[in-house]
Amino acid sequence: MTALDRWLEQATRQLAKDSAGQVRAEIQEHYEAARETAIRSGATAEEAERLAVRDLGDARTANCQYRRVLLTTGEARLLREGNWEARAVCSRPWLKWMFLVVPAAAFYTATALFLKGSVAGAWVWVAGGIGLLLAAPLLPIYTPSRGRVFRLVKWVVMLSLFGMVFGSEWLKWSWLLISCLWPMAWVEWTRVSIRRKLPVAQWPKQLYL
Amino acid sequence: MNFKGTLPTLILDALQSEPSHGYRIAQRIKERSRGVLDFKEGTLYPALHKLENEGLVESYEGMESGRPRRYYRITQAGHGTLRRDRAEWRKFSRAVTAILREA
Repeated sequence: MTALDRWLEQATRQLAKDSAGQVRAEIQEHYEAARETAIRSGATAEEAERLAVRDLGDARTANCQYRRVLLTTGEARLLREGNWEARAVCSRPWLKWMFLVVPAAAFYTATALFLKGSVAGAWVWVAGGIGLLLAAPLLPIYTPSRGRVFRLVKWVVMLSLFGMVFGSEWLKWSWLLISCLWPMAWVEWTRVSIRRKLPVAQWPKQLYL
Repeated sequence: MNFKGTLPTLILDALQSEPSHGYRIAQRIKERSRGVLDFKEGTLYPALHKLENEGLVESYEGMESGRPRRYYRITQAGHGTLRRDRAEWRKFSRAVTAILREA
């Protein structure tokens, strides 16, 4: 293993396969150019290789900076799984219709019960909100600003649902709240990070939601 | 010399006149600063990717000496950012110079 291989191994740690390939290609190009320049200036081949790697600097620092701008393994996995889910829904017409019809039916039922005086108005709001969340992959949310509005509504709906279920006892059930919200918050945080790394033109639908 | 935070502006400046690849950008910055701004070249590419994500530069495949290379060129938005960064830097530099002169 050469010094460059060691540098690359450390610099590409935890990067997604495509990102790591990109880093390898660009650093290899850079290294070759630096080595040739050093040889032209009179250095021996060994010395030129050593200087070229030295000029790259600390691999761990480069790795930290690469992880801020390129997709990591965890982020690539989240994207892959999200794309798979979206394909699974959109490629089956019956499933697609179910995601539209079931929330609409729930909202209709909640509204009808509210008008009859059987349930509180808040449940209509919750039914509508949950319906909106389920139908999200099929809604026309294709711009960052629509995405921001959708995410705001999503969190308001989820928090109000928890508020309605637990009411004044929310503190007693906080362990359940935290364990339910933690995975969602983690996915949201990972998506925020991916949105920073990918140009809007390359965003899949799941990044808007 | 530590010039953390100014690397993106220096990259945009290096790309202002013509498209270039990573190694040439690094050499241009070092030469133009007469070796004062001696940064580690491994940190250049993350900065280039960030600028690309922000739409300030764009990259394309090119050839040099029969070898494929990734070239970067500044975009219209990049020119605008560079103009703003220059103006801010002049203001900042004038303020620091004024203070140091007083001392």
